[in-house]
Amino acid sequence: MIISTNWLKKFTDIDMPIDELATLIGARLVEIEEVIDLGAKYKDVVIAKVIECGPLEGSDHLNVTKLDDGGSVKDVERDENGFVQVVCGAPNVRAGQFIAWLPPRAIVPNTYGDAEPFVLGARKLRGVMSNGMIASARELDLFDEHEGILVLDDDLNPGDSFVKVYELDDYLLDIENKSLTHRPDTFGIIGFAREVAAISGKAFKTPKWLADVTTDFGKVKTEIIAPKISIENPELSARFEAVVLRGGDGSQQSPLLIQTYLARVGMRPINALVDATNYLMMSTGQPMGIYDYDKVLTLSADATICVRSGRAGEKLGLLDGRTIELAPEDIVVAAGETAIGLAGAMGAANTVVDATTKNIMIEAATFNLYNLRSTQMRHGIFSEAITRFTKGQPAPLTAPVLADVVHLISEWTGAVQISEVAEAYPKKSETPVIHTTIEAINNTLGSEFTVDEIMTTLQNVEFHTDMNKKTGELAVVAPYWRGDIHIAEDIIEEVGRLNGFDSIAPKLPLRDFTAVSPSDFDELRAKLRTALVRAGANEVLTYSFIHGDILQKSGQKLENSYRITNSISPDLQYYRQSLTPSLLNVIHPNVKQGYDNFAVFELNKSHPKSQGLTVEDVPRELDMLALTVTNKKAQLGSPYYQARKMLDYVGESLGLDFAYEAILSEEEDPTAAPFEYRRSATVRDGATGISLGIVGEYKKSVARAFKLPSYSAGFEVESRALFEAAQKQAVSYVPLSRYPSVERDICFQVADTIHYGQIIELAETALAEMDLQSGVSPIDIYQPENGTTKNITIRIKLTANDRTLTGDEVSGLVQKIADGVIATTQAIVI
Amino acid sequence: MTVMQSIEDVRTILLSYIESSDTPRDALKRAEFKQLYGMVSTLPVQERAAYGRRVNDLRGELEVAIATRESAIEDASVQSIDVTAPWDVNSVPLSLLPTEQGTQHPLTRELENVVDIFTRMGFEAIESRQIDDDFHMFGALNFPENHPARDGYDTFRTEEGFIPPAHTSTMQHRILKDGKAKLEAGGQIAAVSYGRVFRNEDVDATHEHTFYQCEGVFVSESATLGEMLGTLRAFFEEYYGQSLKIKTQPAYFPFVEPGLEFAIEKPAALGGKPGEWLEMLGCGMIHPEVLRAAGIDPIVYRGFAWGGGIERLVMLKYNIEDLRHFESGKLAFLRKFVS
Repeated sequence: MIISTNWLKKFTDIDMPIDELATLIGARLVEIEEVIDLGAKYKDVVIAKVIECGPLEGSDHLNVTKLDDGGSVKDVERDENGFVQVVCGAPNVRAGQFIAWLPPRAIVPNTYGDAEPFVLGARKLRGVMSNGMIASARELDLFDEHEGILVLDDDLNPGDSFVKVYELDDYLLDIENKSLTHRPDTFGIIGFAREVAAISGKAFKTPKWLADVTTDFGKVKTEIIAPKISIENPELSARFEAVVLRGGDGSQQSPLLIQTYLARVGMRPINALVDATNYLMMSTGQPMGIYDYDKVLTLSADATICVRSGRAGEKLGLLDGRTIELAPEDIVVAAGETAIGLAGAMGAANTVVDATTKNIMIEAATFNLYNLRSTQMRHGIFSEAITRFTKGQPAPLTAPVLADVVHLISEWTGAVQISEVAEAYPKKSETPVIHTTIEAINNTLGSEFTVDEIMTTLQNVEFHTDMNKKTGELAVVAPYWRGDIHIAEDIIEEVGRLNGFDSIAPKLPLRDFTAVSPSDFDELRAKLRTALVRAGANEVLTYSFIHGDILQKSGQKLENSYRITNSISPDLQYYRQSLTPSLLNVIHPNVKQGYDNFAVFELNKSHPKSQGLTVEDVPRELDMLALTVTNKKAQLGSPYYQARKMLDYVGESLGLDFAYEAILSEEEDPTAAPFEYRRSATVRDGATGISLGIVGEYKKSVARAFKLPSYSAGFEVESRALFEAAQKQAVSYVPLSRYPSVERDICFQVADTIHYGQIIELAETALAEMDLQSGVSPIDIYQPENGTTKNITIRIKLTANDRTLTGDEVSGLVQKIADGVIATTQAIVI
Repeated sequence: MTVMQSIEDVRTILLSYIESSDTPRDALKRAEFKQLYGMVSTLPVQERAAYGRRVNDLRGELEVAIATRESAIEDASVQSIDVTAPWDVNSVPLSLLPTEQGTQHPLTRELENVVDIFTRMGFEAIESRQIDDDFHMFGALNFPENHPARDGYDTFRTEEGFIPPAHTSTMQHRILKDGKAKLEAGGQIAAVSYGRVFRNEDVDATHEHTFYQCEGVFVSESATLGEMLGTLRAFFEEYYGQSLKIKTQPAYFPFVEPGLEFAIEKPAALGGKPGEWLEMLGCGMIHPEVLRAAGIDPIVYRGFAWGGGIERLVMLKYNIEDLRHFESGKLAFLRKFVS
């Protein structure tokens, strides 16, 4: 939204420099995105009078003119009378006109600020000297009219400053109006001026015509019976007023000064009728509509106007040429049965004002902002008017604005009011009395405002205040245009804001001496990150939403994902069911970038639908940790063991010892879906048996779909389950032995179907029966080519608590362990 | 033999070939199949279209059969491994990757840092949800149905009507409800919620649909707006390790009253000069309706809340030029952040 400071000055004095004003508005009202110095653009423009105008010999459209600029421009070629010669190609140039002259060296305003602005000179056109140019409205960057030159008002003097006469020595404030969503009053310049006055500590007085909320035109010579207005449902429209005028066919223009004001705030001048409604909309925030009254009468002979909901299947031809289908949420204005306008949004083609119009009906009304919001979205209408309506303009405002628009149109076009004002006003709203105290205000803000300061602040924006000296209670009534003021906190905000929140001294809250501990789960995740970083992995963050293709490539079912219905991109169609697919998706691009051997991991949430809902009826979220490790170069052994190595390291860093079990058949589990079950293991915490997740290689189809190097594997575990295991984990301390340890290696030859884990388990079972401190670790796993047996060598470490073990004793113990292994596995010790 | 019958015969031959072959795709190169195409020109013109359709249908059927056979062959070639072993047979003990190549993501690192400061200031930390409902995202925060302020959040929706939260305030109602007992026992509610939030926006160097926020909530019998300003200033002074000037600007968020935007003077560490301001977050006194919705009496208790983005802190700290790097998974980016 553009705010003109010159327009503001019509309602309040502004005596501070523009940058101070901008800072103040920024701190106490709304963010200003940009301040535009309009005057700089027009500083070279001179008002001149066309003294002579005649055709240029040899041209079919050029004219040679002599301009009187009152001698105001220096260093320009003049004739003996002091006039300046300018060649002009516009068809509408005539002697006697006042025009905007751009002398040599002037910058053409619509190129002002461009990288290469157009600077005029004195040059010959067909042998005739032309000094600068006579400007059109487009060249002046006022509005898009280039049929001819801009003809100025005729009560001017040659050499007058264009900037001064048309009040263009103006600064425009580009406002970020999102934060004024709740302040319909500030969408009119008068409301904005009220705020500017108050934040600079001045009282504001609403102009008398606007403060009077009755629709009083004095004595009106009525020629016709006013239209009959009804509102189907007060929820649609709180108030609808209309009045009929004779004359005003849209051929007249509004005063040029008004046109320049509309243009500078971004509204194209159209004609005197439209400009009058727009000018008042910009001044007050109240939009209005104009209908061709005779066309209304052809649709309803007794001018029955009804505000109602759109009907199923009902169509409406808008004045922009579109035909729309109405929805029940749309509000229409109808004459008899026929819709003549999409309320608040746009008029209909059937009652548009055109060259044949003789009588007009002007509407001033309010509509339900929620309905209009849905109309706006459904039909894609984003006009200045609907922007204001959707903030919720107050019903009392329609009356004074309607009165003033009739006044303006009469003045500008000579149109005459011929009907009384017709009105339906089914829903009058009460302005509440809000009670608060000085103490409550200061206690909430942490401020020390006095009674007087608070009262003055509120009175400056025309709040009615009443202080009960005995009880200290303050009763406040906000003016009707402040529909945003409902509760004491709203009053507190006004006091703080208008005086500047920055005037309040910051201080720290007092709090108890109780320690706050970081969340244990957060600490665990920090530990996981540290461990994985130490293991050489890179933490990534990938999107929580993925493309359906990624789900399918990973072997996950689309129907197990929450689907986003309004996504801007197909890449964000589905919630992910696990993290692994997202990791797989970043492997190939990195390999392509030249990274050969790396691991990426992510700690994040997954949302498979199969997890169901929580007690709050929202989807259960899983906290996951996933890692993928890859190597572009061929490696000895299967990649499974590399992923497992990293997972083991994670376990160790938490003091956990993980157990891995083969998976016997494919399981219905989204986390397991990308993994090849025959080359993957389920992961449990060894001590507690808590199930953690899966580690393994990916299915061939998955590896192909994600273009993974063949040496790729990974894991995905639930970090909550890790947390649970870590919480339960206890340090089991055994006093250190004073006696030396003995180590012995044993090599078992077993069938290749026997697992390493079985051997270890059997050895550990045997060891558990001995009253010793012991440990088992792997040394070698060997399988001859095409052999059906493999050799597993383990190292056994034994320590007695009370003696030094003798060689014989050790041999006996090792034999016992071997026997235990042999009994079950038919191993041969070699 | 009719033309259609010959198609049928070829079909039988090729399907059985595919079923038994180790190179099922060769079926499409076999002479029987190619000759079906050759026959087109021998047919009367009016029969050619129907014939062509039949041959194409057959091709589709064969493709499916080939894909099935190929995946069966591939599946049969998968060998189990001994998952209980520490390394593969005939292999050697494995090592981890080089430590110096490991990195933590700059966003999680900064979040840990931010949460740590707030924890030391007395705030509990709670992670925000990534999928929530309308009630927690809007309803409990004084955003009535159809309220225009909802537009500003550009929320995604799921088929079921769930919402990927557009702000970490989606946790506020829960924090207030959980803290009520503590409050009524004479204590205070002091908590931050942090995590991922989502906006339905086009992505470019300065816009992301996915980003991180940290939100704070403080409620006591005597909380003031001045205390909010003090708390936020204290956080940023600790974060940047220097004293800072602050300024505010009125703002409108339905869940606070008054609502403010909070800015700090750009710290020297970031090359700031006096008069340069950085907008850091939105904040305000918790709206009485929000307290009431959580069962907290707004006459007795007052509170303040704030929320700001984490990416901005990280981008300012390291001069990161493009927001899209964060979720790109590019090692070239991630490996810049060596601990």
